[in-house]
Amino acid sequence: MNEQTTAPGELNFSRRFDAPRELVFRCLIEPEHLAHFWGPAGVSAPVEHIKVDPRPGGVFETVMVNDADGSQYPTRAVYVEVAEPERLVWTESHSGMTVTATFTDLGDGRTEVHIRQTNVPEAFRSPQAQAGFLTSLDRFAAYLGGLSGKATR
Amino acid sequence: MTLAAEDQLDATFMALADPTRRAIVARLAEGDATVNELAAPFDMTLPGISKHLKVLERCGLISRTRRAQFRPCHLEADVLDAAVDWIEESRRVWAERFDKLGTHLRDLQSGSHPRNGEDDE
Repeated sequence: MNEQTTAPGELNFSRRFDAPRELVFRCLIEPEHLAHFWGPAGVSAPVEHIKVDPRPGGVFETVMVNDADGSQYPTRAVYVEVAEPERLVWTESHSGMTVTATFTDLGDGRTEVHIRQTNVPEAFRSPQAQAGFLTSLDRFAAYLGGLSGKATR
Repeated sequence: MTLAAEDQLDATFMALADPTRRAIVARLAEGDATVNELAAPFDMTLPGISKHLKVLERCGLISRTRRAQFRPCHLEADVLDAAVDWIEESRRVWAERFDKLGTHLRDLQSGSHPRNGEDDE
């Protein structure tokens, strides 16, 4: 797992899949696979608009289409690291947000994928903000959610 | 998200980057409080607390009544909600993506190999 200290403005998310690590990794870098899951609920990511060049500096582009009204959201990212089948890192061009996907072979045919989203808004990059923002974003969300009553929605 | 909304969010996260300010926000979530009341739990001078309050006020997280002598501070829940929503939204996207990926992996391994565009028109 990650040994780095918690970075400022960070979101962590993990999920276990009943599938071998190689397959799960391929799903994250092959358009034919990505098209099946990249859009969240109610959003499609048509395979013809997915562009993947899995090597450092290579592009990762998608167009998300809202199923309800057809509106389109193009996304563009650049790969920072491609270490098949262990790690995949990309940076979103518009937000500067970096996503690190770590793939762990659990040894029983299952794979855990850990998503770490860092560099959230530009403002976080100031040293003062970095020094102060020691709470990871998701823990912070739970904290704030408790305050505003939104965490249980 | 509009640029103004993004700026607002940046400012909110910046303001909440400080543990003292987070504690102030937590206190105000229970109800309005004066500067004196807010300063009480901290080993801090009133000007010190006032500085934090100004940061929170500037980003819109709190407001202060102009008229009352003690100018109680009030938490603007909408601004806090926007910050919470943004984080929750990111989590939701990954959760929904991974729900779909789980289904896709099951399909792949059960040999049904669904292709794109398989859905009937």
